[in-house]
Amino acid sequence: MKNVVYLFCLTLALVASSSHAKREYPTRPITNTVVWSAGGGTDAINRMLMAEMAKELDVRINVVNKTGGVAGSIGMNAVLRKRADGYNLVGLSSSNVVAAVNGGWTQKFDVWSPFIVGSSPDVVSVPYDSPYQTLEDLIQASKNKALKGAAGGVGGIHHIYLLELQKASGADFKYIPYPGSAPSQTAAITKEVDFVVTSMAEQAALLRGNKLRPLAMLHPDPYTLEGVGEVISAFDAYPSLSERLPLSQAIGFAVNKKVPEAVKTKLIEAFNKAMNSSKVKDWAMKNHYQLSGLSGQLAEQEFARLESIFTWTLDDLGANKLSPSKFGIPKP
Amino acid sequence: MIEQFTHFFSILINLISSPTNIIILFVASFLGIIFGAMPGLTATLGVALLTALTYSLGADTALLGLLGMYVGAIYGGSYPAILINIPGTPAAAATAMDGYPLTQKGLAGKALGLTTTASFIGTIIGLLFLVTLSPLIASLALQFTSWEFFLLALLGIILSGSLTSPDLVVKGWIAGLIGLLLATIGRDALQFFPRYTFDVPELDSGLEIVPVLIGAFGIPQVIRALTNTHHVKPPIFTGSILPELKSITRNIKHIFRSATIGVGVGAVPGVGEDIAGWVSYSTAKKTSSKAQQAEFGKGSETAIVSSETANNACVGGALIPLLTLGIPGSPPAAMLLGALLLHGITPGPSIEIDHPNFLLEVTAIMVLASFAMWANGLLLAKQVIKVLQLPTALFIPVVGVLCILGAYALNLNMFSLYLMIPIGIVAFLLGEMKFPISPMVIGLVLGGMADESLRRALLLSEGSFMPIFERPVALLLVLVMTVFILAQFSWFKRLFSFEGKK
Repeated sequence: MKNVVYLFCLTLALVASSSHAKREYPTRPITNTVVWSAGGGTDAINRMLMAEMAKELDVRINVVNKTGGVAGSIGMNAVLRKRADGYNLVGLSSSNVVAAVNGGWTQKFDVWSPFIVGSSPDVVSVPYDSPYQTLEDLIQASKNKALKGAAGGVGGIHHIYLLELQKASGADFKYIPYPGSAPSQTAAITKEVDFVVTSMAEQAALLRGNKLRPLAMLHPDPYTLEGVGEVISAFDAYPSLSERLPLSQAIGFAVNKKVPEAVKTKLIEAFNKAMNSSKVKDWAMKNHYQLSGLSGQLAEQEFARLESIFTWTLDDLGANKLSPSKFGIPKP
Repeated sequence: MIEQFTHFFSILINLISSPTNIIILFVASFLGIIFGAMPGLTATLGVALLTALTYSLGADTALLGLLGMYVGAIYGGSYPAILINIPGTPAAAATAMDGYPLTQKGLAGKALGLTTTASFIGTIIGLLFLVTLSPLIASLALQFTSWEFFLLALLGIILSGSLTSPDLVVKGWIAGLIGLLLATIGRDALQFFPRYTFDVPELDSGLEIVPVLIGAFGIPQVIRALTNTHHVKPPIFTGSILPELKSITRNIKHIFRSATIGVGVGAVPGVGEDIAGWVSYSTAKKTSSKAQQAEFGKGSETAIVSSETANNACVGGALIPLLTLGIPGSPPAAMLLGALLLHGITPGPSIEIDHPNFLLEVTAIMVLASFAMWANGLLLAKQVIKVLQLPTALFIPVVGVLCILGAYALNLNMFSLYLMIPIGIVAFLLGEMKFPISPMVIGLVLGGMADESLRRALLLSEGSFMPIFERPVALLLVLVMTVFILAQFSWFKRLFSFEGKK
């Protein structure tokens, strides 16, 4: 009986694959599983970009969210288990590279072939009526009494920025974990914490509406925000920040690295066209994102670099569960 | 002010002058009701799915669809709660308490009509607050820090525990504590430490609410129907669905108070419709006469009006921090934030600079959305009560299949089913022992927030509990809770009535 079932399945599979072979990828809707929650930066970028790519590929792209686990490990696991045929994409960001060393899953990041849409630079801000006028004020004050800072979740990019700032300036900060950037910013507005480190894209509305006040960019260049003015770079006062920064946030999506070359080429083509469309460019400018557009080998190299920096930074701090060397991740 | 009003009406007329807008509004609202009514499909999921579909539309039209969906879905949860005692969303759990007894009395139509109108009035009152008081309410919402979130979550669990228990109140609290215990399963939110996960990767992100909700309410209902050999069909409802004006005016003070509670709870970031229903239900009970109080839990009009008004008023409340601070007040509002960002609108304090009159526009859209919900609701109600006339042998298997589909559909994950069935059996056994089920589900829904907030608060205060007594809102919440717990003891009641006589 079992044999009959197997035979039947095999025939079906053969018929299906032969009929597929006649038409080029993609022939049916693609699913993009975003591993961060709906409404966040990664989600918004993926939804916008997928709508543009769908036009190029001429199939529907469904965007769903599958959050949870450690640094998005549940969503990544679910997509990686599916067939490597290019019909399943995963929406992610550089914050996902720490999943393995935090015990979320057992893979090095090179199981993916990523596509990098862009990033937004990080900024240190305080509540609008905070007594600290400059970054120096904040750092001096912290030496008398540890100041509380919010910067998204443990091991995320903003957390690493906060740690780097602490190291470069000798400040004494107490990191308070929040589930994401938005709750961290809210905590700064309610003055539960003394300052917050998140990206410009996430903070812009609050800065312009006088809820938060920017102290400095954690980026080599100053940033001009309409209605607020120029925000200086912290790199001028603390040059040692440039040792490991800036880290790009690298928001985008990825596909299983084992997909056939033809599928990858098709995706890269559609990705490039979408990235050059005026819709994506306008959206990025309005929302304070800097576009990247890396794909293929270049994007893989960039993610490998980020993986190495992120995981070893966590290792320096003892904030990880497993050593990066266990996964063969080289030191930066 | 007058200028604002004329502007408001010109926006309103602009919106309804396009037939496509009207079609989208009604279709979205209808789909919303279906989403709310189907166990397993939630308001959050509905808004998320619609976001992708409305990408190519203009921002106004997209928002019309999304808000229509949101309002409809919150209302739709009351259908299965009233008709089959399975709340479609956690928000409707309080409605089931009195809605189902009304159905058993053959008053399903009346109950649906009342909740439809109450939801409509609730949404409109929520809007009035949104337009007139949003800066004030937003600043109040900012009084909520980790301590207050923890206390509010605890209050929600205690309230639902003491209200739902048909037997001893302590049984409700025990059910609430079981819920809290279930909420600790998974990686903890602060340090990713695995708790009770037994190395099962599916447990890493904790128990999903939807399969638990369906399991806890749906499965016992199916088992009960199977074990019941002479099933009594609820009598056929013959009256009018449209509620009499009298029953609305009779409850008008409850409607107003519940709407205020709904707006207040909705405005607090991260806390949504689930708590609003319970807080409003308990307040309604406390402020009713002795005779009315006895009705609660047995099919009280006041009870369903209160919980439904509050959970719909919550929608307006949840939009306040979203539009003024960029902080979503509830999970569906978080989806809405994503949709707005897609259309190039960044809600937050800078919205009046970038998009002047956006608040008025949202209000106009919400008014239309509530009208669509009301009209759709009254039309649908007449049809949906007919399902009660189906023979049990046909009806219960369909409910069973829908429960399983609902739990599976959310994540397309078999694990949800392995979770749902045992929870359902445990819930059935607990129900047989007269433990209420709602506090368990509410405990799971709010437990994560309570746990995370308490630990973060202690981290911030370096282990001290003193901030509770230094923060006015926190102190108030503690007092309310203490009185509520003490009020269950007879010696306290005696003391109270003795002093009352003096």
